[in-house]
Amino acid sequence: MSTTLMVIIGLIVLVALWASGIYNSLVQLRNQVNNAWSQIDVQLQRRYDLIPNLIEAVKGYMGYEKSTLEAVVNARNHAQDARSKIAQSGGPTESSVNELAQADAAVKGALTNIFALAENYPQLRASENMQQLQEELTSTENKVAFTRQAYNDSVMMYNTKQQEFPAVLMASAFGHHLVELFQVDDVEVKKAPKVNFS
Amino acid sequence: MAMNFWQAQQQAKSKTTFYLITFIVLTIITAVLAELALRTYAGKNYQEPVPYVGLGFLAVTFLVAGFNYLNYTRAGGSYVAESVGAELVDPYTQDPKERQLINIVEEIALATSLPVPPVYILKAEEINAFAAGTSPQNAAITVTTGCLYALNRDELQGVLAHEFGHIYNRDMTIGMRVAAMIMGFFIVTYIGLRLLQFGSYSRRSNDQKNGGNPMVIIGLVFLVAGAVTWFFGSILQAMVSRQREYLADACSVQYTRNPAGIAGALKKILNSQVSDMPRSGKPFAHLYFNEHESFFSRIFASHPPLSERIAAIEGGKYNDSEPLNQKQI
Repeated sequence: MSTTLMVIIGLIVLVALWASGIYNSLVQLRNQVNNAWSQIDVQLQRRYDLIPNLIEAVKGYMGYEKSTLEAVVNARNHAQDARSKIAQSGGPTESSVNELAQADAAVKGALTNIFALAENYPQLRASENMQQLQEELTSTENKVAFTRQAYNDSVMMYNTKQQEFPAVLMASAFGHHLVELFQVDDVEVKKAPKVNFS
Repeated sequence: MAMNFWQAQQQAKSKTTFYLITFIVLTIITAVLAELALRTYAGKNYQEPVPYVGLGFLAVTFLVAGFNYLNYTRAGGSYVAESVGAELVDPYTQDPKERQLINIVEEIALATSLPVPPVYILKAEEINAFAAGTSPQNAAITVTTGCLYALNRDELQGVLAHEFGHIYNRDMTIGMRVAAMIMGFFIVTYIGLRLLQFGSYSRRSNDQKNGGNPMVIIGLVFLVAGAVTWFFGSILQAMVSRQREYLADACSVQYTRNPAGIAGALKKILNSQVSDMPRSGKPFAHLYFNEHESFFSRIFASHPPLSERIAAIEGGKYNDSEPLNQKQI
């Protein structure tokens, strides 16, 4: 066997080792992203499961506030759809997270309306069931907020790895793609203040 | 303006390292001084090539410290919680207040990526809480009923995040290591006292021509060295503990992103007069969330003054005349 052949085989082995190293670290990072996502998913699922209970609890008092109740139910169904879409595609993707984030923000807004209206019904506000639901919804919201940070961190590491050289050469060939961050747009904050000079 | 918690954490961490190094240096200096003293005053009887007394001092201190530390580690946080009479909260409780407590603990566990610890409630009016245990795996958090009912949700979250800060920074471990060292110093003092007694009994039968009785001198040196390190060690212990409190306050802000929570809780404590933590909990005073000034004089206090902690969180001087509860409605 000639020396040239040995060198070529050696080089091929080196390249293969190097590629498998990148492959493994990409898989590891993607699993971290999926794990962080499943933590959020559990909380969202719980939140969306609680909303029918909330509607049931307030229906008796706020029957004629139909539009508010319907808004919550619609927002909830929309968010639930977005959630299961992500679950079916096997984890968060390039564009699916933003849709859910917006749908979830709508749920949050609609819930705020319900709790604001509930202030007008002292009996409802005082009921143990209502207080319990409010506590559970607050807690799941906090949990989503706290896990969002971990999710975004792991997404950032995964995306950065894919964009770095030399991983950038083979990430898409190995079936990796950039994943979207879970961002909550605080509409009130982002809205530019209107100034009237007239 | 709220404080920059990354800076505050860095500062508190480096200060604690400094105190711990001081601790070890203090022990070694005392050992060297003891050895020198012996060589100067009892040179005739004590001319060994190896510094036995200095090494003896170091060995006793570190052996006792190690033994105590092992003992502390074996008993987890639940043991400490139960030994002060706190009761375990059922994780599936239906009681609204307990439910809220469990929920908040789960939230902060998520925020810190730590395991969810068992939660205990202690029947006491005083607003207080503590975390115990030597690792995140065997830690337990205890809150008083006063803490549970007097604080609102945000404040309770702030207090629990503070306790998680202790777990995350492993302050209980540091505290126990330091406490174990102090125990070592105490034992050295005790040995010195015993040697002194023993030496003075046997003195009569001894020949006095050679100068001082080595037994008495070694006893005296042990007694003085042990007492000095014990005294300064206790002050250092309190200083380390106070630094860790500031760090835990900074962590609370980091985890909850809500300085108003922990600050509000501290203000409520400042304004409450009750002090009824169980007496049996006194050995664990350094674990408590807050400590009333009457417990120790300030130099031995394991916690910084509340007003200074509030000032550190809010990034300025805490003004007593400022209307209370202003930020927490």
